[in-house]
Amino acid sequence: MDSNKKYWKGLEELNRTPEFVEKNKHEFAEPIPIEEVLSGGGLSAKTPRRDFLKALGFGMGAVTLAACQKVPVHKSIPYLIKPEEVTPGVANYYTSTFEGNAILVKTREGRPIKVEGNPNDLLGKGGLSAQAQASVLDLYDTNRIQDPMLNGSTSGWAQVDAFVKSELAAIAAAGKTISIVSATKSSPSTQAVIAEFITKYPTAKHVVYDAVSYTGIIKANQNSFGKAVLPHYNFDKADVIVSFGADFLGTWISGEEFTRQYVSNRNAKSLEEKKMSRHIQFESGMSMTGTNADVRVAIKPSEEGPALVNLYNAISGTTLPGSKKLTTANADKAIALVAKELAAAKGRALVVCGSNDVATQVLVNAINSLLGSYGTTIDLDNPSRQYAGNDSAIVEFIAAAKRGDVGAAIFLDANPAYDYHSTAAVKDALKKVRLKVSFSDHADETATLCNVVAPNHHYLESWGDDSAIEGYYTVVQPAINPVYNTRQAETSLLVWSDNAAKDYYTFVRNNWNTTLLAIGGLSGQPGWETLLQTGFVKAAPKAAGTYNFNLDLNAVAQTILSQSAKLGEGVSLAGKKVELQVYQNNAMRDGKRSNNPWLQELPDPVSKVTWDNFVAMAPSDVKKLGLDEFAVVKVTANGYTVELPVLSQPGQAPDTISIAVGYGRTAAGKVGDNVGKNAFPFYSFLNGTFQTTAQATIETTGDTFPLSQTQTHHSYEGRTVIRETTFAEYKKNPEAGKGEEEGEHKKYDLWENTNNDRIHARPVYDWVMAIDLNACTGCGACVVACSAENNVPVVGKEEVGRRREMHWIRIDRYYSFAENGTAKADERTGMVTKEKEIAKLEDFSNVTVVHQPMLCQHCDHAPCETVCPVLATVHSSEGLNQMAYNRCVGTRYCANNCPYKVRRFNWFNYWNDSRFDNYLNNEHTQLVLNPDVTTRFRGVMEKCSMCVQRIQAGKLKAKMEKRPLQDGEVKMACQQTCSANAIIFGNRNDKNSEVYKALQSERTYYVLEELNVQPGIGYQVKVRNTGTESLA
Amino acid sequence: MTGKDMTYARITNEILLPVENKPNKAWWIGFIVSALGAMLWVVSISLTFWYGLGEWGLNKTVGWAWDITGFVWWVGIGHAGTLISAVLLVFSQNWRNSINRSAEAMTIFAVICAATYIVAHMGRPWLAYFTLPLPNQYGSLWVNWNSALMMDVFAISTYFSVSLLFWYTGLLPDIASIRDRAKGLRRRIYSILSFGWTGSLKTWQRFETVSLILAGISTPLVLSVHTIVSFDFATSLEPGWHTTIFPPYFVAGAIFSGFAMVQTLLLVTRKVLGLENYITMFHIESMNKIILLTGSIVGVAYITEFFIAWYSGVEYEQYAFINRATGPYWWAYWSMMSCNVISPQLFWSSKLRRNIPFSWALSIVVNIGMWFERFVIIVTSLHRDYIPSSWAMFYPTWVDVGVFIGSIGVFFTLFLLFIRVLPSVAIAEVKLLLKTASEQAKLKQIKEGHLEPAEVQYYKESLTKYDSVDMADYEKV
Repeated sequence: MDSNKKYWKGLEELNRTPEFVEKNKHEFAEPIPIEEVLSGGGLSAKTPRRDFLKALGFGMGAVTLAACQKVPVHKSIPYLIKPEEVTPGVANYYTSTFEGNAILVKTREGRPIKVEGNPNDLLGKGGLSAQAQASVLDLYDTNRIQDPMLNGSTSGWAQVDAFVKSELAAIAAAGKTISIVSATKSSPSTQAVIAEFITKYPTAKHVVYDAVSYTGIIKANQNSFGKAVLPHYNFDKADVIVSFGADFLGTWISGEEFTRQYVSNRNAKSLEEKKMSRHIQFESGMSMTGTNADVRVAIKPSEEGPALVNLYNAISGTTLPGSKKLTTANADKAIALVAKELAAAKGRALVVCGSNDVATQVLVNAINSLLGSYGTTIDLDNPSRQYAGNDSAIVEFIAAAKRGDVGAAIFLDANPAYDYHSTAAVKDALKKVRLKVSFSDHADETATLCNVVAPNHHYLESWGDDSAIEGYYTVVQPAINPVYNTRQAETSLLVWSDNAAKDYYTFVRNNWNTTLLAIGGLSGQPGWETLLQTGFVKAAPKAAGTYNFNLDLNAVAQTILSQSAKLGEGVSLAGKKVELQVYQNNAMRDGKRSNNPWLQELPDPVSKVTWDNFVAMAPSDVKKLGLDEFAVVKVTANGYTVELPVLSQPGQAPDTISIAVGYGRTAAGKVGDNVGKNAFPFYSFLNGTFQTTAQATIETTGDTFPLSQTQTHHSYEGRTVIRETTFAEYKKNPEAGKGEEEGEHKKYDLWENTNNDRIHARPVYDWVMAIDLNACTGCGACVVACSAENNVPVVGKEEVGRRREMHWIRIDRYYSFAENGTAKADERTGMVTKEKEIAKLEDFSNVTVVHQPMLCQHCDHAPCETVCPVLATVHSSEGLNQMAYNRCVGTRYCANNCPYKVRRFNWFNYWNDSRFDNYLNNEHTQLVLNPDVTTRFRGVMEKCSMCVQRIQAGKLKAKMEKRPLQDGEVKMACQQTCSANAIIFGNRNDKNSEVYKALQSERTYYVLEELNVQPGIGYQVKVRNTGTESLA
Repeated sequence: MTGKDMTYARITNEILLPVENKPNKAWWIGFIVSALGAMLWVVSISLTFWYGLGEWGLNKTVGWAWDITGFVWWVGIGHAGTLISAVLLVFSQNWRNSINRSAEAMTIFAVICAATYIVAHMGRPWLAYFTLPLPNQYGSLWVNWNSALMMDVFAISTYFSVSLLFWYTGLLPDIASIRDRAKGLRRRIYSILSFGWTGSLKTWQRFETVSLILAGISTPLVLSVHTIVSFDFATSLEPGWHTTIFPPYFVAGAIFSGFAMVQTLLLVTRKVLGLENYITMFHIESMNKIILLTGSIVGVAYITEFFIAWYSGVEYEQYAFINRATGPYWWAYWSMMSCNVISPQLFWSSKLRRNIPFSWALSIVVNIGMWFERFVIIVTSLHRDYIPSSWAMFYPTWVDVGVFIGSIGVFFTLFLLFIRVLPSVAIAEVKLLLKTASEQAKLKQIKEGHLEPAEVQYYKESLTKYDSVDMADYEKV
């Protein structure tokens, strides 16, 4: 259709008024006031031009000023010139050595974050102690001395060197002694440095001083066989092990190595071969080793000597003069039976004794000689170099210093002002010494008495070497540049003695080039590089010779018996006179690492006490004295008094008390200061060695001081959580003790199974774990390893006391008691385990102990998952129970519903709350954090993740190498550090995997499987080789 | 059911007395004490929010204690309000009319107190919205409908909204009454609050309908809310929690504690506000009877639990119950038993039922007992469950106590403010109780002989049946 529509904008247009026609000629109907604006008239307008410019100027100025605000610069590139070998996000490993154990140091972006055992290490074979695991944290300790100090104020190395050198020259000229007081230095290079220092200053003397020493054994070997050495023990070759107070699985000489050896005769493999060693422990206080013994007999310290004499008598068939029956009847009976067993196992037997008394150790040598242990279970030809301390040397040093004969005292890893039995004597003596130098990296008790503090490197900043056993040489290499202005002690000694080698690295290289590399068949630069990769060289061990003891024992027996009689004289609880045993506990040892929060918070394997030492007393004695729990008592012995809370310790011999050393530091740092009380002053120097026992009086004070224990209920109430059997039963039926006579537990599902036997498919991996209760010794190294790997917070004494420790893995320790009197035993276990029955017991010395590592069981039917309102905890297709921290709102329902109580809640913001200033409240210490694991905010639940970061890293590596993940390639942090190999992790889908095989064991059971939560961790029944005749 | 010589005008005058006048001394004392309590709550909660839940005495083993105890206690208390307003309405128990307003207010405030616990017990309360199924940037990230806590969120929020609605609907005619009598700003405020109530027949008709519908919705809530709260425990694995008896047992317990709380509040309110004519002995006695009944139900539940624990043959279950009665928390268990089961039995005596000081004291005892019940269920089950190594004791900190005492302060502050600004007795509904235009007028008519004897007879019978009028006056005529 033809359209002729016309549109008009208004009537004006339609009508075409003249005004409109006129206006329509222009582009704009009304003129734009350009002229007005450009001319001065604009100034009177609404927004005049100048105002606009003013506003513009102000705006520019304001923005510029605002931009001048300093914005914090976050450096995200760690390196200006990136070292070739460092890839951000990828860990580098360096070999090194911790106290003679070959280790691997894991570094990320140039900072060491974890210490792991070197799998080829001769001692631990990859297993490491809690101390080694914790040592990395010491590197980031903010209490370290950051600069050399001269006369109490910060100084420089040049001034210190000038001062020390002039002083040393003057002292040498005056003919005064220069004493280097050090802990045992098993490093060949350090020994060489000291030797060269002594050559330069002929009046110099090296005093080897171990706070906890083995002088007794060394002197006894000198006496018996003419070899002043600490033997190398082979617990793996011993079928019958009898220990008199030697905590050989924990603190005695080489705990990790001995654990590995010991467990090799008791683990799954050994049991399958129907072989199991037998271990009998005679001791006063309950040690970790005692908790693992097949039979443990509580004896008083004063009975140890007579017991050994009687044992010797029984084995040799002679009677040493003065022998008499023990006061404890069952101990007497036990000695007779043990003698029989030992004699029957000649050549496969071992007797060890924890005493530091020469005479006692001579007698032990005689017994071992009768048993043919030399050359088999005891090796004197490839001796241990871990401890070489000579107790009389330090005593002589102090006497000489008091006389004014010592001109200079140089302390290397020695802190006598804390750990010598008379600190007053040390202080007095040092007042008369002209030059006092400490190499301590902390302003410790001795360093504060010194006029020069030349802070040593942390070992992760150091070069060096070590040799724990003769013929085994390990290298120490730095994993980080020195953090502070410190210098390695050896370098200082080299500088002060004007050595040709100006730095210790050159010295170490020279030393290895000339002597040590050749041992491993290496040489030159390539040899050195190989060494840095392997971490050690090893000479073929010398054949262990047999040694016969042919000395007269009459005098020895006399000494032992009279000493014991003196110790036991007049002891009676009623008279408040008891025998005191001073011991090292597994976490704190001699107290050198007491500023380490991981170790302070590591529960003692036996008492489960953290952050304190205490007076361990038999429960029956506590009752008799009418003491409350944690009542403070005053203990006086050898003229020294401490006030400590009492802990009721089952297994403690009646009329005895035990106190751990390593506490009561006053200058350790903010973590270790004033934790517990110092027990070193209870030592006494007698017959050339430090004695660890004494007669003590106790007084009640009426105060109480609560100890922080991670476990406060100590029996397992007859529950199937713990299953154990005896070796005799096991041999008859490998399933003994499992308690599944009615057959396997059925698994139930609400839904129809479509994926073979499970609802949710695990197409490739099904991560599970096997834990052998018969291998676990309860040492707790796994706890520290886990804390280091997973950034687990330290919460401090107060919070542990409120039962809020954060450990992802814990070791549950349960006591059970033999039936006696009115207390009734459980039907299932044959032991007294129920609270109400235990209350009826009178005698608590006959106790058996079981340790059970407990961590998230990664249940297939996880009860925590169903109750979380926000799905913050869910299951992975690989069988892991995972936490989505970001999603967690913290209702704690999951923790309530967890039957294993392994979930841990962040009650506070442990990272950023000044009230928890013992761990990570400063940026420097936070460098120890594992960057692969996020830290958790307050209000968030956390728990074992099965080191999911390790699993992911392992899978990724395999994927990049286009191969399947191999069994054993991924190791959990807890598993990796376990010397006993009690923990096996792996893929259950792989029928050839170690874990699958371990779970097939007849001994395997699942804790609380009757709940149908289908836990992913299988435990193996504990087996005790209780023997045929009851010993206890 | 009401006092003597009641008239419509008198009802309005008397009930609005506290609303329209300056508060008396008793109110001020009560208010100051309550406000101090509320301040304690603010301080305790602030500390908790500032530092973290570590301020409470909880630990790795006992993850819930005073918090969830307080939560369940408050939710339970709220139940009586709903029961009185909804269930009794549905069942035409018109004696509820004089107590339902306060009871409903109590419900609202109790649920508010309970809700504060839901948020406060979270480790990260600022993320409380995670518990709502909100669309989010994470795609299909949803809440867990399997979790009883999730059901709780919905149960409580539904309960709160319905209760609030019901309460407010009931308030409308009364607010209109205040409006009509007020002047100035007050009038304007009450005018807005009354939603333009006209009082026309149509309005009344709609009001009745809405009330009934809401009562119908609320009735299942009485059962469902505490059933779901009990799921928090019943659906878990914890020995002592994992019990199928929990839903009915919790509901009975809730009504039990709720009536006790109503009793506690009303006996005081009636005295302080002079409402003796509205909250009569009849009400007090009726509520005491309900307390006796529900207390006995709860008692049977306790015994049944014990029996089932033994009968199940499950050692953990058996231990949990033996531990309750004889373990370290035996005193809590026996406090619960004597407060909840033994003491209400005294109400078999009608003398004690009608004794006001005694009833009040017993209502407090029941409230204490019901707090202990939740404490016993939560803490004694958790503190010793499966793995003995983790057994622990729970010790409250002052913050725990502060939050609880403080929540009582918050509750009473709200309640006292409520009785100052809104009628504490449902005026309109009480007026319904005076079934005739005026009972007095009728009596006068009878006395003056204006009525047929048959009519009088019928009237008398209906009075005996439905009302609590003193019949002595009618004997003579």
